[in-house]
Amino acid sequence: MGRNGSLLLLAFLYTFLFGATSALAQRAGSKALPRGVILVKGATPSASDATTPVPEATAITAGRIESRYFGIAYRIPAGWTEQVKGPPPSDSGNYVLALLVPSDTMSKSVRGSILIQAQDLFFTAAPAANALQLVSYVRDHLPPGQQVLRAPAEVKLGDRTFARLDYAAPDIGLHWHIAATDIRCHTVQFIFSGPDPEILDGMIANLSSLDLPGGGRAPLCVAGYAAPENVIERVDPVFPTHRFNPVPTRIIIDRQGRVKHVHVISAFPEQSAAVVAALMKWRFKPYRRNGKPVEIETGILFGSGNGR
Amino acid sequence: MTKRLVLVPLALALVSAVSLFAQTDPGPRTDSTDSGDPLPSVAANVPTTILDFFNDGKARFEEIDSVTGSIPGEAGFGLGPRFNSRGCARCHSMPATGGSSPGPTGGPDLSVSENPQIEDASAHGATNTLPSFITSDGPVREARFIFFLTAGVPDSSKPDGGVHDLFTIAGRTDAPSGCTGSVLSQPDFATAVSQNNIIFRIPTPVFGAGLIENIDETTLLTNRAAQTGNPYGISGTFNRNGNDGTISRFGWKAQNKSLEIFAGEAYNVEMGVSNELFTQERPNPDEEQASGLPSACKVNPTPEDHTNFNTTAIGTVSDSVQFAMFMRLLAPPTPSSTIPGGFTSIRNGAGVFQSIGCAVCHTVQLTTTASRITSSLDNATASLFSDLELHHMGTGLADNVSQGTAGGDQFRTAPLWGLGQRVFFLHDGRTSDLMSAIAAHSSSGSEASATVANFNALSSTTQQNVLNFLRSL
Repeated sequence: MGRNGSLLLLAFLYTFLFGATSALAQRAGSKALPRGVILVKGATPSASDATTPVPEATAITAGRIESRYFGIAYRIPAGWTEQVKGPPPSDSGNYVLALLVPSDTMSKSVRGSILIQAQDLFFTAAPAANALQLVSYVRDHLPPGQQVLRAPAEVKLGDRTFARLDYAAPDIGLHWHIAATDIRCHTVQFIFSGPDPEILDGMIANLSSLDLPGGGRAPLCVAGYAAPENVIERVDPVFPTHRFNPVPTRIIIDRQGRVKHVHVISAFPEQSAAVVAALMKWRFKPYRRNGKPVEIETGILFGSGNGR
Repeated sequence: MTKRLVLVPLALALVSAVSLFAQTDPGPRTDSTDSGDPLPSVAANVPTTILDFFNDGKARFEEIDSVTGSIPGEAGFGLGPRFNSRGCARCHSMPATGGSSPGPTGGPDLSVSENPQIEDASAHGATNTLPSFITSDGPVREARFIFFLTAGVPDSSKPDGGVHDLFTIAGRTDAPSGCTGSVLSQPDFATAVSQNNIIFRIPTPVFGAGLIENIDETTLLTNRAAQTGNPYGISGTFNRNGNDGTISRFGWKAQNKSLEIFAGEAYNVEMGVSNELFTQERPNPDEEQASGLPSACKVNPTPEDHTNFNTTAIGTVSDSVQFAMFMRLLAPPTPSSTIPGGFTSIRNGAGVFQSIGCAVCHTVQLTTTASRITSSLDNATASLFSDLELHHMGTGLADNVSQGTAGGDQFRTAPLWGLGQRVFFLHDGRTSDLMSAIAAHSSSGSEASATVANFNALSSTTQQNVLNFLRSL
């Protein structure tokens, strides 16, 4: 075999071997589970339809964190970014809507975080019925050594009322400025932390323009409306397995007393299916406001109630 | 002098400065002397004979098991057919009996000088192939497969999550001649690794376990309520015992209710010893779905560990019960107030640990309820640094194994007492570096991400104080 023939054979062998190796790698790759993915989930949220807004669904659009459910749009400060998503809502109705940190391109002198979270007041374990009470509860349970710089009090930012709390950890020079507001029987908290209180003050001030342009009207939220005296027809969900976990659920009841939407905040799939199937058969006395029936949302706790 | 010559020393100076101020894990503390000791009232033998129970339980915990009890020097009985190691203390050994995985030089109470699973694989003629993830300087591990296979491929509709024991008794001198490697084969770990269909767990330390066992439900629920609205985005839940619905608390996912359940399960799963709590020899999960263990390898009548009727006093009690009693009476290690880094650094680090949110999950102290066993368990302060709740730890730590109500990314807050002397961290022992362990707490879906952001916002000096505090525990 001449030189050219040898080169041709080498080229053929290289192509054959490389191609075969690549194909094998691809086949092996197709069988391999992806890394860094939660494949086996525990209790998760779900809903009876995909169009009605739910609290956990936030989106970053044009530099803003938008929540259609809460009707808010928070403009992300320049240089801040969302690097990781939050956990699923808890079985006590806590939502991490967003966590922002300084981007890698920011000056190292900019430190801290912006946490936006919401607590469903229907299912909270704290004795709190509104933002001021919840923020006061937070103040009462601060770690030792924290210095309260601004006691919980209501402030007006734009058209919205917030409960505000400022505190600091003097030993490490970190401050926390919290502004919380009530939306649909949730307390939505904006928690700004960092070393410079003036920057945090500026972030608080920026909450004055929070409303989502074009945000729709939300149903009236009514605590405890699923009490027996308001229920005309009731079908209990049958769980195929008993897991002892609480299943907090919100429903929207239309003006005719029919269940229009079910949002299961935290449940295993078979529990969610059972809850949705049962609740869609419930009928309520229409809720009346000023003598007229109105659409409302309320909460029901299924499953084991002692989990909270 | 040329510009290059100026720049080189400048760069070296910068590197030195970074090294000087960069925070580093001080590494395992070696000054402690009380790890592995009994609780004070047990050491004082109150009530009378309780110290005998502790010592007997410890001796059994340190025994090495053989298949039939016929091997001189190995007092235990009932090993296999499948197992991960041959004795409790081979894995729970660092820094003393009852601890976690031994380090590269073995545990101080062991004669072995490397990961004991290497010796376990071939002891007494066993013909096991050592899986690639068991190394001389790595942690002791158990392996779980995420999904069962369909046509050789992980099938996401068939969650497995069970322990696939590393070794078999095939080939051992005390195994039946018919129990060969072809009759009882090891799982195909190489394929599982190549398919990412495997996760690992290292031993949880059991120091102070009796205090954890004796924390009342109301205390845990009250502590959880106090966390509501915390400014760190943390909101956990409890795993619950499937029989009575009460809070379970032992194991990486708090899947076990009591120390006896914990001990009985481990004896069965990790060592293959059937007992009064787990009464059958345990097949691997895929065998369980087929026809179970081959009869040629089921050697002993069951349960292999049971109440001993022909003895008196302590000897009557089964191994499982005595394992649980040893763990129950084992004191937590005493933290250091000065090592590493000095008193001021540790004190400051402890404060920061609370300020930035670590202590929401790693609850510093909980109080036990009244105890009928011994006074050290009675209304005692347990500085466990855990709320015993399940928390979502995100995509970075998810092991995709569900246990009880814990999903694939939920773990019990690991108690931190004794952390200062541990070699390997996180459920799978993936790191020996505290900074890496802290960083791993942040990923998409994790409840700890805001707290890690707070940690990242600290100065290097303050971060070092936190590391010194953690290594003081």
